[in-house]
Amino acid sequence: MKINRVFLVFLVLGIVYVVLAGRLYYLQIKKGQYYREVSTKNYIRLYTINPPRGKIFDRNGILLAYDVPTFSLSALPYIVHNNYDTGVIIKLLKEKLGVEIDEKVVEAFEKGIITKIEVAENLTQEQIKQFYNNFYLFKGFFIEVIPKRVYTEYAKYMPHVLGYVGYPSYSQLKKNPYLRPDVLIGKSGVEKMYDDYLRGEPGYRAVIVDAYGRQKEVLWEKQPKRGRDIYLTIDARLQKIAYESFKESGQPSGSVVILDPNNYNILALLSYPIYDIEKFTKGMSPKEWKRLISNKYKPLFNKTLYGLYPPGSIYKIIVGLGALEEGVISPYETIESGAIFQIGKWKYRNWNPAGCGNINIEEALEMSCDTFFYQIGLELGVDRIVYYTHLFGLGERLNERIERKISRIPNPDWKMEVLNENWFHGDTINLSIGQGYLAITPFDAVKIIAPIANGGKVYKPQLLKAYFDNKENQLHMIKPVLVRELNVKPFYIKVIKKGLYKVIYGRRGTAKVLRDAPVVNAGKTGTAQVSRKKDKKDKKEEIKWELRDHAWFVDFYPYKKPKFAVAVFVEHGESGGRVAAPIVKDIIEKSVIEGILDEGL
Amino acid sequence: MRVYNYLDFSFIKRIDYLIFLPVVFLIFWGVINIYSASINEYPNLYIKQAIVGITGIFLMVFLSTIELRKIVNLSIPLYILGVLSLVFVLVAGDVVLGAKRWINLGVFALQPSEFIKVIVILLTAFYLSDRKKSISLLDGLFILFIAFIPAILVVLQPDLGTALTILFPPAFIIFVMGIKKRYIFASLILILLISPFIWSHLKEYQKNRILAFLNPEKDPLGTAYHIIQSKIAIGSGMLTGKGFLHGTQSKFYFLPEQHTDFIFATIGEEWGFIATITILTLYTLLVLRILYWAIKIKDTAAKVVCYGVASLISFQAFINIAMTLGMAPVVGITLPFLSYGGSSLLAFCILIGIVLSAVSTFKKEKIQF
Repeated sequence: MKINRVFLVFLVLGIVYVVLAGRLYYLQIKKGQYYREVSTKNYIRLYTINPPRGKIFDRNGILLAYDVPTFSLSALPYIVHNNYDTGVIIKLLKEKLGVEIDEKVVEAFEKGIITKIEVAENLTQEQIKQFYNNFYLFKGFFIEVIPKRVYTEYAKYMPHVLGYVGYPSYSQLKKNPYLRPDVLIGKSGVEKMYDDYLRGEPGYRAVIVDAYGRQKEVLWEKQPKRGRDIYLTIDARLQKIAYESFKESGQPSGSVVILDPNNYNILALLSYPIYDIEKFTKGMSPKEWKRLISNKYKPLFNKTLYGLYPPGSIYKIIVGLGALEEGVISPYETIESGAIFQIGKWKYRNWNPAGCGNINIEEALEMSCDTFFYQIGLELGVDRIVYYTHLFGLGERLNERIERKISRIPNPDWKMEVLNENWFHGDTINLSIGQGYLAITPFDAVKIIAPIANGGKVYKPQLLKAYFDNKENQLHMIKPVLVRELNVKPFYIKVIKKGLYKVIYGRRGTAKVLRDAPVVNAGKTGTAQVSRKKDKKDKKEEIKWELRDHAWFVDFYPYKKPKFAVAVFVEHGESGGRVAAPIVKDIIEKSVIEGILDEGL
Repeated sequence: MRVYNYLDFSFIKRIDYLIFLPVVFLIFWGVINIYSASINEYPNLYIKQAIVGITGIFLMVFLSTIELRKIVNLSIPLYILGVLSLVFVLVAGDVVLGAKRWINLGVFALQPSEFIKVIVILLTAFYLSDRKKSISLLDGLFILFIAFIPAILVVLQPDLGTALTILFPPAFIIFVMGIKKRYIFASLILILLISPFIWSHLKEYQKNRILAFLNPEKDPLGTAYHIIQSKIAIGSGMLTGKGFLHGTQSKFYFLPEQHTDFIFATIGEEWGFIATITILTLYTLLVLRILYWAIKIKDTAAKVVCYGVASLISFQAFINIAMTLGMAPVVGITLPFLSYGGSSLLAFCILIGIVLSAVSTFKKEKIQF
């Protein structure tokens, strides 16, 4: 009996020995190679080193944006999860580092996710010291150097131009194999347009880490390559002037574009209202964020490049030049232009019920006579109006990097395709005065005036004046690119120019306010109808802001030898002459005071 | 000549070197690997272990010179002292990793639960020392009763693994000492019946460990993380290991408790299959040798002691190794002689000392006949 039991014990012992020995053989010999590989992956981790992005300067070398290294506390949540109760680590972080973590991080710790998360950013020297002094306490935590954008005083006036940086989205990562999930890229503005210049190349560091994520030894390192510095065509002073002039007008929303018509260098590009670029990059409270996105004047939206609005009478410049070139009308030919233009049973009114009288094209521009343009526009026809519009570069990405949104230039095909309707004469008539289905970006508005100012040349718009080539160690200037010439008789351009001169200096001009500007200039007003439904009898104050007309003004100066082309758009500003033109006047005045006008650009 | 008689060195001849030498080898082997596993974090652990190890070796030799009967006769006062110290631990012990297991004696801390294993075996031997026939049900129940008192106190610490190591040797002794078959079946059925009840009273982390053991891939970064990392460590050692001090799993803390409960994984990683199979074989041979004496010696107390020690060593060694290989739940049982821990090492040295004493006494009596 007893001997049987002892035998049983030996048997069990033998079985256990064989099983364990077999298991050892299986793990170490049979699958040894596999586990060797797994153990190697276990302790070698590849870290990305963020390259410093290039600096951004204005055209005169004023620094706008640059990178500074900041220190972030990051964590591998699964290690934290394995070593601490969440409550303990929250307390530890608060007591030792004064770091309070948000819900997202708490959740990551509780779930013990595998991917790295940022626990706290912008650590102070004191916090970093505390961390390293208590290194052994923070299992799963490490400090990372992350470059952050810093903006100078002048950058505040151009948040939309500069844009911001962020980590690439999933779809961006999929599209571009050069992007890395932990390397910052430009998300909007210049940061995005010239990301390939600014981004630089990330470095990599292969590090031996322990199970707590602590770096033990650097195995291999590739230094990052810093991005290239870029010089914008923007004149920071002019940008500030544009901002201040718009702000002082008291209007809530709109845009300003200032262009050098001789090379299409963009000197100022304002979308109003602006947002606080510094706060935006540092991070905002949910409340501030909510206020920002619910603001009805859309501070985050770059109206200048992405908004589409009917241009109204500034469009008459294109229709007028087309009509002259096509011989629809000769420069001094007059047309009887009354208060109403009638075609069949349809009546089209002039904005001024008094009518215009028997006038030539210069006078028609001067008083922005609708009935005159109804007639020449109808004669010119939709196809040729559209042809000339495209000739000016409207509805076209002259610079792919800058222009994303395309103005809507309607024609019969477009109408059939989108609305499934035929094109009527009324549509052409509306188009002749920049109404109807036409909608352009405020940036395209400056393309209307610039070829008139420079005598018929269309250039590629530029935001980049130069960039610093890190390899060759020298500055590369971007040369102007002539896209096309209008190829119209120079005399016709002069006629249009004269008409625009009269808008300001003529007896019946619509923008006499600009006579007070310290420089001789020429321009065109635009007041674009937004809604027909509003009751004419209502007092202006009672019309809802959203239903008020848009106000435009395009201008160039000095008249003889233009150096600046300006387009001002005031969203629901009601009157080009009374609202948009004074802003231009203000801009001219301020640039003269600053001495910008006298500089050779 | 009287002086010569007084200094009787004949005990050296009576030491069973097939037990003594493997144990000494394991102790030094343990110190070396504790050095490797802990040098980065705790630079003096291996020195402590070496000191305790040398003390333990002397203790074994010393115990081998004492007649077994004298040691066994001390078991009742030792038992009372042991149980009282367990109560003291619960009331005023030091808390380490959420469990009260230690009595702080200033210079070093003592873990009474390790020593109670020895005492329970001794008391069982004392109680059964007069029995010549198979033991009765009453004997069995009484032995279980004296084992359950300290085991429950240890469970309360809480330390389920150690409690099992207290209970296993008495149960094994009852089994091999020939209790009737029907009682064995009855107790097995009883265990099956009450196990759901025990499960519901387990702590959350204990349940998680068992669940993680049953299904490790489901929760790779939770409790099963330890098991997986341990398997990676051992497997990556391959045939000859990564080399002493070159284990990446242990050096970079992927292994939990690498110098205590998971020392086997550290060894497996750095020394490979050659070392792991050697250790496994060494334990088996050690246990077989002790069982050999258990069968050979006729004195019941000596028999019981040998059965108890053999069962405890095999239980702890095989469960611990199985745990590091992912074949048993993580229960916090040390690897005899190898794991870091003064109390555990000392307790095992005492156990071996008692076995050596039993063997020595047996040889002496044989010579006298």
